[in-house]
Amino acid sequence: MKNHWWKALGVIILLYTFTAGMLLPLKPGIVAVNPSAVRTGDTVTLSVQGYNSFYTQSKTPVRAWLKLDEQRALAAKDIKILSDNALRVSFDIPAHLPVSRRVQDFTLLLDNDVDGASVLPSALLVTQDSIQPDRGEALWVNSPITDLHEKSGITFPFRNILAETIRNTYFHVALWFAMLFLFIGGVSSSVRYLAKNDLDADYRAQAQTTVGLIFGLLGLITGIIWARNTWGAGYKFWNLREVDVKQAMTMVALFVYLAYFVLRMAFEDAERKARLSAVYNIFAFVALIPLIYVVPRLTDSLHPGSGGNPALGGEDLDNTMRMIFYPAIIGWTLLGFWMAQLYYRLIKAQMHLEERVGG
Amino acid sequence: MGLIKETLALMRKDLLLEWRGKYALSGILLYVFSTVFIIYTSFEEVEPKAWNTLFWVVLLFASISAIVKSFVQENSPRQLYYYSLTNPIAVILSKTLYNIGLLMVVSLLTWGCFALMAGNAVKDNSQFFLALFLGSVGLSITFTFVAAIAGKADHSATLQAIMSFPLVLPILLTLIRLSANALRLEQDSSISDDIAILAGIDLLSLGMALLLFPFLWRE
Repeated sequence: MKNHWWKALGVIILLYTFTAGMLLPLKPGIVAVNPSAVRTGDTVTLSVQGYNSFYTQSKTPVRAWLKLDEQRALAAKDIKILSDNALRVSFDIPAHLPVSRRVQDFTLLLDNDVDGASVLPSALLVTQDSIQPDRGEALWVNSPITDLHEKSGITFPFRNILAETIRNTYFHVALWFAMLFLFIGGVSSSVRYLAKNDLDADYRAQAQTTVGLIFGLLGLITGIIWARNTWGAGYKFWNLREVDVKQAMTMVALFVYLAYFVLRMAFEDAERKARLSAVYNIFAFVALIPLIYVVPRLTDSLHPGSGGNPALGGEDLDNTMRMIFYPAIIGWTLLGFWMAQLYYRLIKAQMHLEERVGG
Repeated sequence: MGLIKETLALMRKDLLLEWRGKYALSGILLYVFSTVFIIYTSFEEVEPKAWNTLFWVVLLFASISAIVKSFVQENSPRQLYYYSLTNPIAVILSKTLYNIGLLMVVSLLTWGCFALMAGNAVKDNSQFFLALFLGSVGLSITFTFVAAIAGKADHSATLQAIMSFPLVLPILLTLIRLSANALRLEQDSSISDDIAILAGIDLLSLGMALLLFPFLWRE
């Protein structure tokens, strides 16, 4: 058992990732607001559709604001609770806004003591009839946002476009991290082969690279499904100008490693196959590193972390998600190396059999 | 000093082989000429954007076919003779330098063919020729190294293509950007970053090639 603890650890971590990642609820959020565009000077009644929310169970009255910026917000005139997931909120929009833009977007903010605060950015677009910031300042009745509640219990953040698919972080992103570690493992096995001329290291490199390739394909598939759900069905993953560093890196890495296996198929002699594929593996790995700098310069992408999209870090990956995301990476990596070890033994046994039959 | 002397001697040998055979350069010239002819007859008027893409694609295939034979044109007894005689670093260095020269000739010829038949879309000559130079250097380092691997197999041309295309992708993407700027398709102030990236890629792959080639040579 002494040498196998890491396999058990990997399985336990993955079980924890699956259970917690799939079962923990999302924070309450706002899915949609109707109408989403109005003119100044109206009293608007917004029907708000909530998600995972419990409006009827709140002990204190539900409060709502239309937020203009950090200092300025409009409080709701009237709030009618229809059900746990539906509200009717009325606002008086002043005749002039204190901004010099024709169309101003407002963020809707709801707060009650069960759900805590929930936000819908750019919920309402207000079109001004005439732009007069001075009169807007005079008419503005500011009601600062105060005493927001915190949702109690362990939850994942609610992100508007992502919603429940945010759980894919533990699979799509974590699988790609594990893939990277497996490829690094493969490269270091290749280096070891060149240093020691030990065929075992070559079998290890082959096994780690194979498992890395499988993880890469899984990451690609989960990524395609995720992108179709969030960026829309028109998204094409093979279009390099639409994808981004991470997608493009993975696509190219998959090409490189497919070429690695074609190269291995081209040679019969084990020594020769091992040396040539080890050299190619190392060269290719280093040659791909500049892509990290090259691809982001091509275009803005939709992918998290570029062009103002949410990514890992900041408020997007909150502490609850970190508690599952980091273990998920470790879990997938351990599982990957376990798979690679099993496959390595299989290759070794096959070689041994061939030798005996051949000899 | 011995290294430089060996390298120069090997380069001279490659040049002599090429001069006596002449088939490589003339074959590539014919390839480029016929490709551009096809492009011209089907497009008639080549827009700058298509010009940019087609130029680099034609050049990519021309350089692949120019370099793939680097390590297979001489039979293995002669390779063994070099092996016993020279430093492996001198071998890869001489091949790479020779191929850099070859690719610069090929890229200028390609540009000439394009200018002759499809019109010259280049607005900023110095930037474009800088891209050609850095591109020739980068492509020939990677292609030469991959040719050394692929040359050991029976179907070296296929292996060469599938192994080197993903590897030159970073170079090619940057080159197309750089030359798009030279064609005034887009205006970008950060062009010096692209040049730095290209130079960095060239140095990195040269270092890796020099480091790893001795392992390939040991056969």
